[in-house]
Amino acid sequence: MSVDLTTCDQEPIRTPGAVQPHGHLLVLDGATGRLVAYGGSQSLTQAQEMAAAVRVPDGLPVGGASVSIGRLAMVDGLWDASAHRTPRHLIVELEPAVSETGNLAPIYSLARSFLPELQNTGTVLELAQLATLELKRLTGFGRCLLYRFDDEGHGEVLAERADEGYDRYLGHRFPAPDIPQQARALYLLNRFRLIPDAHYEPVPLMSLDPALGPTDIDLSQAFLRRVSPVHLEYMRNMGTLASMSVSIVVDGKLWGLISCHDHQPRSLTPECRNACDHLGQLVSLQIAAKEANADVAERLELRKLTLEIVSRLGDSDATLQRILAEPAPLLRLARASGAAIVLDDQVWSVGDVPAREQIEELAGWIVGLGQDVYESHELTARFSPAAQFDRASSGHNVAGVLALSISQVHRHAILWFRPEIVQTVRWAGDPRAKIIENGRIQPRRSFDSWAEQIKGRSEPWSAAEIATARELREALIGIVLRRAEEMAVVAQELGRLNKELEAFSYTVSHDLRAPMRHITGYVDLVLDTDEAALSERSLRYLGHVKDAALYAGQLVDALLDFSRMGRAALKRRNVNTQLLVDDLVKEITRQERGQDIEWAVDRNLPDIDADPLLLQMAVRNLVSNAVKYSRSEDRSHIAVTAVSNEDGDGLEVHDNGVGFDMKYVDKLFGVFQRLHKSEEFEGTGIGLANTKRIIERHGGRVWAYGEAGKGARFGFTVPKQATASQAPPGVPDA
Amino acid sequence: MLKPILLVEDDKRDLELTLVALERSQLANDVVILRDGAQALDYLRREGEYAERAEGNPAVILLDLKLPKVTGLEVLETVRNNPLLRSIPVVMLTSSQQESDVLKSYELGVNAYVVKPVDFKQFVAAIADLGVFWAVLNEPPPGSTKAHRRYE
Repeated sequence: MSVDLTTCDQEPIRTPGAVQPHGHLLVLDGATGRLVAYGGSQSLTQAQEMAAAVRVPDGLPVGGASVSIGRLAMVDGLWDASAHRTPRHLIVELEPAVSETGNLAPIYSLARSFLPELQNTGTVLELAQLATLELKRLTGFGRCLLYRFDDEGHGEVLAERADEGYDRYLGHRFPAPDIPQQARALYLLNRFRLIPDAHYEPVPLMSLDPALGPTDIDLSQAFLRRVSPVHLEYMRNMGTLASMSVSIVVDGKLWGLISCHDHQPRSLTPECRNACDHLGQLVSLQIAAKEANADVAERLELRKLTLEIVSRLGDSDATLQRILAEPAPLLRLARASGAAIVLDDQVWSVGDVPAREQIEELAGWIVGLGQDVYESHELTARFSPAAQFDRASSGHNVAGVLALSISQVHRHAILWFRPEIVQTVRWAGDPRAKIIENGRIQPRRSFDSWAEQIKGRSEPWSAAEIATARELREALIGIVLRRAEEMAVVAQELGRLNKELEAFSYTVSHDLRAPMRHITGYVDLVLDTDEAALSERSLRYLGHVKDAALYAGQLVDALLDFSRMGRAALKRRNVNTQLLVDDLVKEITRQERGQDIEWAVDRNLPDIDADPLLLQMAVRNLVSNAVKYSRSEDRSHIAVTAVSNEDGDGLEVHDNGVGFDMKYVDKLFGVFQRLHKSEEFEGTGIGLANTKRIIERHGGRVWAYGEAGKGARFGFTVPKQATASQAPPGVPDA
Repeated sequence: MLKPILLVEDDKRDLELTLVALERSQLANDVVILRDGAQALDYLRREGEYAERAEGNPAVILLDLKLPKVTGLEVLETVRNNPLLRSIPVVMLTSSQQESDVLKSYELGVNAYVVKPVDFKQFVAAIADLGVFWAVLNEPPPGSTKAHRRYE
């Protein structure tokens, strides 16, 4: 519908320079009251007589609507006069007085019966039905219909009253080009229009002032304004000779029209016209009130849901994905069939959603738009890859998306999805059909019902839903910011504790090591000087003293290493664990010549993003543990295998050694936790604690499985990319 | 005449053990013993109670890191900033494996850094190595009066 009747948009409908022939129009100078132009079937003399006869009350506002100024008795009959002021002129219109049709006081009947009924209506639809009934009764026209303009300007018929023999349009749509843009602007200004006879031949305005051309006269508010010939043609094509319409204006916008048609020419008394005008205003007010009420009710409901979501999130650790723990409010909030939360490379979803990669792609695109809130109910038209999206689990295509993006830099977003609803729209005539004759676009002739299937669309997102998404975004950012502040406080406290720990370990390293050294030193001196004089037993005791002191020294050193490992900065790079493990195996085989070890090292060990030194230490602990704890076997079987799962990549080390009872698995990775007597296996009991600490500092996890006497396996994974604990997720950069 | 070894150590047990270790390493150098950093600086700069001592710098300073009054690091810094003392080899002896101490020592220009091993035998070996390297084998810096070598 791109080539529509847009030529109509250029037509100067406010200053047509001509009037309808059924009345007289006098243009008086705004200041002097002198006749400057006239239009109609009258002669100049008649026009001058009329101008002399009319009494225009003072105080008509410039730009105001036309008001009735009474009846004028002229030689040729009775005329109903009305007048209004334009910036330059005073325009007086005279129309033949119509005999009353039984509605003696249409305004009173409106106030007495229509208004109370109007207030009792519950919905806009009920109101529309009531208004068409009333207007048809008031005017006596053959058909009355009320239609509402959608966002694209198409008019959808909500209510209709029609006599026998009239075509029905209820539920149909009139395509937007039926009413060109400047006509819509005029309908906002001049809310009542009447064309008594579509067969009229317009009469030109005659100017008495050479400086004033007929098309300089603004007829926006004139009843007798000559309407566009295209419109008359349109009316005739529709089979109606008389038409009347009243604008429904809500919040300063043309919400819709109530329009009446008749097969026969038909005019209305000024009283009746006034009543119609009033009816239009009452309906406008009621619709505004109803929509505002509905909007307030909807917003209240949505705000409740927002609060529910936000308060729950506030009680948790404030990471966005917690919202999905209780998905119902989130889905209800946007009346969506599915929702997803995207935090960089992570996606959580609920309900009917596209595939994970598709969500990621869409989220990336939306965040890239740089809008806080994005919405579309025809996604495929906005984002072409969406056409390839998988059908959601319900079998519907996803066509609508509402998204809020939390950060301008990171891909942190919440998305809601709505399924495609294939709509059948009944048009009053095929909106695509164009008739071009004599090089000019003709108004359409067919108003036959024409059904169109509209695909790729979901139910549109309401203004309240979009506003709520915005509110939720603000609230989430508030929570995230607050959480960031709290974390800063915690970080400060941690920093302080860390300093204390450092001071402590400094003291330990100096003051605890020294006495150990002295003990072993003096024991050695005693042994060196007096060994011969000591009994066997004394020598054994002194040996124990020395061993104990040495072991205490090792413990202190191990503890310091452990503490240092927690503090040293990670220097991450790509580590080839195949090489790392192969080297370790060589080294250990060389050291443990006395032990018969059968190695089975996978050839597909992964590359891991980690600090090479620390990772080597972690793997070394696992491999040397396997060697140590399988020493009692005739032949040690030690295998190293690759692990790859959703947590990342890693290794697992299997042995056939003494194993352990799974009930102690929690103790394995603790500092100085040992499951064996120290005579059986040497060591300080810090190796696995170190491994755990190293892996956890890389954001990974460790595990152990074992069975007493049947071997054990220890493994770890490290996430593929650096998502370690340094930066808490969810902190906005805005 | 061999230049002396300057040993700065506050802990009397450490002092005794270090002396035993030096003795066992069979170095012929005299060992001058000082018990805190302030004393060490007085000695080196020939001030205070050492104002009257004979001229000449020690062959090597064995310096404990943690000292009363003036710490080992401060002594090291002062030595390195004094043109007359700058060329004396300094070996830091310490209980500490604290990386900040190690780093700081090397920044200040220490020649060696030794964490005293808990095992006395290793300690003896470490001291012997150091003494031999710094007190005997090391060439004196150019311009200084050439010392007589033990094995000459």
